[in-house]
Amino acid sequence: MAAMPTPQRPGLLATAAIAAGLLFTAAPAMAQLKSYDSSRPSFWQNPPPDWFLGDETEEQKGLAPPVGPATPTPLAELQENLKKIKLPPGFRIEVWAHGIPEARQMAWGDNGTLFVGSFGATNVYAVTERNGQRSVATILKGLNMPTGVAFRDGALYVAAINKILRYDNAERSLENMPQPVTLYDDLPPYVAHGWKYLVMDREGAMYFNVGVPFNIGIPPAGTAHIRRVHTNGLGEQVAMGVRNSVGGDIDPRTGQFWFTENARDWLSNDLPSDKLNRLERIGTHFGYPYCHQGDLPDPKFNAGQNCANFTPPVLNLGAHVAPLGMKFYTGSMFPAEYRNNVLIAEHGSWNRRVYQGGRIMRVQVDADGKNARQEVFAEGWLTGAQEYSGRPNDIIVARDGSILVADDWAGAIYRISYSR
Amino acid sequence: MHPIRAALAAALCSLAVPAKAADIEAGRQRAQQCITCHGAEGITADPSIPSLAGQKERYLQWQLVFFRSGRRQNPVMNTLAAALSDEELRNLGAYFASLPRANPPAGAPDPALHARGKQAAARHRCAACHMDDYGGNQAAPAVAHQTRVYTAKALQDYRTAARPSVGVAAMNEVAGALSEEEIAALAVYLENPD
Repeated sequence: MAAMPTPQRPGLLATAAIAAGLLFTAAPAMAQLKSYDSSRPSFWQNPPPDWFLGDETEEQKGLAPPVGPATPTPLAELQENLKKIKLPPGFRIEVWAHGIPEARQMAWGDNGTLFVGSFGATNVYAVTERNGQRSVATILKGLNMPTGVAFRDGALYVAAINKILRYDNAERSLENMPQPVTLYDDLPPYVAHGWKYLVMDREGAMYFNVGVPFNIGIPPAGTAHIRRVHTNGLGEQVAMGVRNSVGGDIDPRTGQFWFTENARDWLSNDLPSDKLNRLERIGTHFGYPYCHQGDLPDPKFNAGQNCANFTPPVLNLGAHVAPLGMKFYTGSMFPAEYRNNVLIAEHGSWNRRVYQGGRIMRVQVDADGKNARQEVFAEGWLTGAQEYSGRPNDIIVARDGSILVADDWAGAIYRISYSR
Repeated sequence: MHPIRAALAAALCSLAVPAKAADIEAGRQRAQQCITCHGAEGITADPSIPSLAGQKERYLQWQLVFFRSGRRQNPVMNTLAAALSDEELRNLGAYFASLPRANPPAGAPDPALHARGKQAAARHRCAACHMDDYGGNQAAPAVAHQTRVYTAKALQDYRTAARPSVGVAAMNEVAGALSEEEIAALAVYLENPD
């Protein structure tokens, strides 16, 4: 079993308080592990309020998602935090922008504006530079989990749970954004795993996940897949059996869509693994909810399926690492061997006794998905068994070949650059 | 001491220490506007207003963020919070979190209602986030020892989504399933769940 947190950790309070409850209240029900019957449609029609929970295991009992700071981390504290970040030789990390509550996906405008989505903050931000001064403005407010953003032909696209919105002439209208055009709204209203990440291909079609509104169960019709929406507003399901994907990119070598996927919780601390997937053919099934990590039958929802019949991942990334935003490295600043590597922002665990993730991984892999191997690129935001100083969730390549990293815990964007 | 009790005591003590970034003394000075309604020691005399003493720091800060942005509506709080910087907001949370918690409100207990509230709390798994003593954890507030008037209003506001949940917490969804009777019973039970 994994080591217990030290007494300073809030996580122990959770553990101890639950244990104390067992000792002092003598309520027999408290001794039982929580379980949910998620085998019927009634589960997702009326999901339990603690939908993110599942059938507890003894080793994971009492775990719950951590809540970040209410306000963005102050600059001085960010700079202290970054001193602890470990990078390969020659790389350097600095604060690029701060004061961006719950910063999520990033997208470049044609004229150098960085658009940034957010999680619960309901905002979309624009980071601009004028006369060498960088500033952050909130350009949209009141959207429902506008995590995903994309940009093409002057228009900003925002994913807000069940709507894909288009704001024309966005970069010229930062101070007074136009009313959006609803490009697409044939989407379920579930907020749980309904937050999206937009990946635009060369033709301007957008890929995103329609996640399942729970941890594990029979997916409601119209969820558990990757959808592709074209610029004319037509949508199609292109990848099946996907639980919750909040990151992806187009392989510059092939034009194929690759994506990260968060595996189910509440199986154990070390299973199943989160995944890096590649979509080679439309209609491919990636296994959820029947099989996980390519080879692990679900104990409850396998439904007699052979795991070998589903598309295996390019790479298993590890349990509860929470891979979110990812990018192929297409810049020329980093050493040549980084070209076309996949850089993945791992948001980090909540459903694991000792957290892992909260870092950036580098995956070297062939265009056909073969010979994949990963190594840690940047780490140090995980500061204790269950404590973060920050949580990377997206990566974008800048024009100069450096990368920017969004951190929704600290409300900041970092820049990682390289010089010989 | 039993090792689990010792660990619990240690954990409770360590949590009373504020995050390093916030300044309790600056928070105390900035709190002069707050104590008119929330009480000199963060313990209110008006049952419709919550006591803030000993409340979870992160919860207090999130609520101030919500008041400041207007996502939680209250004419007085929206005006006051609009003037707060991030730093002031952090300090206020740290200050009120550092004060000793209020005792359970005095009031005529209603054993039958109390028992129904206890059952409702178990049914809706309140302790999953608010902990078995309802003393809160992280951004999940201490809900024990608030007045029944305030708790009932809070639950009604969550039920109608008049105030937002924090992060992926699910208070709107939980409260959406509550009946009036359950709210009344929970409000009485949580005054003194010990």
